[in-house]
Amino acid sequence: MSFTFERIEGLAPDQASLAAARKLLKPSYWPTLAEGEGLAWGECQGSGATPYRVAINEADAGYKCTCPSRKFPCKHALALMWMRADRSAAFSAATVPDWVKDWLSRRRGTSNSASKTDDEATPKTKPSIRLTEMPEAGTDADPKAEQRAAAARERNRLEREAAVLEGLEDLDTWLSDQVQHGMANFVAQTAQVCRTIAQRLVDAKASGLAGRLDALPTRLFTLPGPVRPSAAIRELGQVHLISQAYRRTSELPELLAADARQAVGWSVTREALLNDSEAMRVNAQWRVFAVLSEAQPDRLRRVETWLWRQSGADGMPQCAVLIDFVPISTGAAVGGYLVGDQIEAELSFYRSTIPLRAQIKTLKRGAEQTSEPLTLPDERLSSSYAKYEHALAQLPWLGTIPLSFRAASVRRNGEQFYLYDDESGLSLPMHTSQANHASPLASLDRIDGIGLWNGYEFTLAWAETQLGRWIRS
Amino acid sequence: MNLTTLHAKVLPSLLGGTSRHPMPGEVIHSSSPSSDGTLEMLSVMGQALRFERPSKPESFIVEPEIKDGRKIIADGLRRPLIRLLTSKNATEHPARALARAFDRLRLRPHPFDLPLIDAFVRSNAEKLGPIAQHWADRQKPEAETQSYFDPELLDESNWMQAALSQRVAYLETRRRDDANAARALVESTWAQEEADARFRLLQVFQTGLSMSDQQFLSTLEKDRAPRVRALAARFLSRLGAGIENPALGACLERIKHSQSGLLRKRTSLQIELPANVKDQAASRWIFQTFADVSFGELAGAFKVTEKELIEAAAKDEPLLLALTLVATNERRLDLLELVVAKLPNAWERIFEAGLDTLGAMTGSERRRWEEIVVHPYRKDAPTTYSLWDWLHRITDAEAPASVMEIALHAKMLTKVPEHERGSGPWVEMMAAICPASQRPELREQLNQFEQSQSVNPLALLDILDGMENDRTHV
Repeated sequence: MSFTFERIEGLAPDQASLAAARKLLKPSYWPTLAEGEGLAWGECQGSGATPYRVAINEADAGYKCTCPSRKFPCKHALALMWMRADRSAAFSAATVPDWVKDWLSRRRGTSNSASKTDDEATPKTKPSIRLTEMPEAGTDADPKAEQRAAAARERNRLEREAAVLEGLEDLDTWLSDQVQHGMANFVAQTAQVCRTIAQRLVDAKASGLAGRLDALPTRLFTLPGPVRPSAAIRELGQVHLISQAYRRTSELPELLAADARQAVGWSVTREALLNDSEAMRVNAQWRVFAVLSEAQPDRLRRVETWLWRQSGADGMPQCAVLIDFVPISTGAAVGGYLVGDQIEAELSFYRSTIPLRAQIKTLKRGAEQTSEPLTLPDERLSSSYAKYEHALAQLPWLGTIPLSFRAASVRRNGEQFYLYDDESGLSLPMHTSQANHASPLASLDRIDGIGLWNGYEFTLAWAETQLGRWIRS
Repeated sequence: MNLTTLHAKVLPSLLGGTSRHPMPGEVIHSSSPSSDGTLEMLSVMGQALRFERPSKPESFIVEPEIKDGRKIIADGLRRPLIRLLTSKNATEHPARALARAFDRLRLRPHPFDLPLIDAFVRSNAEKLGPIAQHWADRQKPEAETQSYFDPELLDESNWMQAALSQRVAYLETRRRDDANAARALVESTWAQEEADARFRLLQVFQTGLSMSDQQFLSTLEKDRAPRVRALAARFLSRLGAGIENPALGACLERIKHSQSGLLRKRTSLQIELPANVKDQAASRWIFQTFADVSFGELAGAFKVTEKELIEAAAKDEPLLLALTLVATNERRLDLLELVVAKLPNAWERIFEAGLDTLGAMTGSERRRWEEIVVHPYRKDAPTTYSLWDWLHRITDAEAPASVMEIALHAKMLTKVPEHERGSGPWVEMMAAICPASQRPELREQLNQFEQSQSVNPLALLDILDGMENDRTHV
């Protein structure tokens, strides 16, 4: 991938950062500028005595700077990208220095040979994912110390299991209260009551359920008023299902049990996933069709990068989502990829009945913008929706899922826009935030595309039309 | 248990609360002895709702089909255009230049970009084509929206349905071709027009004004809008058919008439400002006082020709300013040129006076007007931003080549004080007014600036070049 101004603009946290980066484009600010193995790095003279060290990875627009700025990317990283984009400065060919290698080794899905440590070249064989849910311990040569650490981990795990089960008992009581008072009443005071139980579940170390309930008020209030009570039934019904499934994981199929544990809050670390030899891996060309960014109540921004598989065999997941969490205070609103980017990568999927979330195991070719269309299947919205229903039957608390379609149209009823399949009559209400942006599509006869369905609203992400490509912004 | 049962027996209990609406015992299925089964029913009902397909609305709105003969801007220009128009630092100059280019080249923004450049579209809708106009009016009640016409498709049957500026432009053309037919068109819709529309349509009568307009103009003496009455009176006065213009009396009261010369007596005219008008307010007072008089009326009042009137005012700068404003109002560029020859700083004086529109002047008239007021500064063009900014706003046209040459040859951008140059408006304005032929030279000058200052103007020049090339290659 080579940097372009569009990409740099997309990555910049704000216009001020771009303006500040512009001022650093003079080579005199950069005593060192070098490149090698798909990386570029340099030292930028700031106000202090020691220059800041800046490195960028051209494969996936990764960056690192030693400056204390709380903006990501900072102006130094943007300036370095910019100099690569407009080739305004000379970069000397050099061996990748240790500080760049060190940074690279801590990044996800890197493709550069410089980053490959001996450990990665020969992947460790790790036990199955259930056993790697706990944080990994450091390598310790002392077998007794290792035994003590293992015992401590097991003790912690059992304590947490007990705490979670206690929390679920409280959750049952809370749910019963809500059912007694009725959903109309629940909707009226949802923020207050959800906050209380979410805090209790955090204490019980069931962070997944806590987060789901903490986000519920916001989710309900994005929906039209009359729909909210029935939406509350759906949401609380799922919470109860997760709680019940968690208590009976031994009776469930392995993947559904993994889904239940993840939904409750047992996370699998990235390292554990990448080292899990049994995790599903798919090696293919992937196209970024949507990048969603959402601020969470915990002051983190959740950045979802949705990928569409452009090559490879049937039977493998057609879509994947990479999820990153960045502090809201950094101002960064996007990951390293932009909509339209194409990468070639091996993805490792988290265990799930409906595998969607993944991590990049190996990036074989970095992101490149291409004008090629998505290789969408030849199926209408109704077929795609039927697949969603099938997936919902397999995973009852299924969240957002991509739906592709051909020959649909955007139609309007009052202020509400719909994605409409005239053959089946299926009409999915579009996300209200898209009303403005998607309205030019309403004058077109048919569109092919893909979007994200969350059970309530459809977020159109990408459409191929007679007027060219439409992309969600 | 089927879906109907769930909806009939379980849903009401869940919505209203089981304490008030207990679930019927026969529908409850508990998964364990310790549970009363209500939570299980919550999950079952929740899943049942999740499997319900979204209901289809009874009907969809039929979107209007709008014909737009303009070509959509080239794909490669879309992103730079959006970036420039949404840049926080950009001034209004690039938007103005781009809107003109869209209009002149008969291009239109890509429909998908309209939401992204919404502010630009709403400010310049009439220059961007019917689809953009429809977009800009989308939130207006249907009764307030116009029909959307390509100006080239306007004719006598539909001209009254188009936007006002398009109607004015259409009428202007008709007045040149057939003044009587144009008047008949105006008469046919006059009663339904609003005051602003009446005034702007009446302004067009300046083109091809003749005695055959007298009857219609006479009917306007009782118009509800004072400015329409005043304009009609002025036209009638020019035709020699109206009562004396009251504004003329107010002007004449302030003009001192004298004779000078020993052998050959020459008329000499001079404005005497009211005592309560301070020097700095003089220009504005002149602008307001002379707004409703015509050159012919003034010349007639002193029994001299129009050219003799200019000669008579030659030694009085305030009166020359007044004549400059009157000539501008009347689109009498021939007379304006004669006045400006005696008032070389007319540009600054008109600016001080607060002139804010060139009325119904056509594009070529505006450029000629600009040449006339700027040319006297050939050797020493002002470097005051507000003057150039006003010139760009009032003409809403790219500068004539001869004016741009003055700016470029004077290397004005480098002369501008650093604090003004750094703020961006200067360089963006120069790029916005620069004609295509002089863009290479301007680029050279812009390249000497820091990138942070030149990025927007250079982007504007690139986009304008791209739009012109795109149009050329159709």
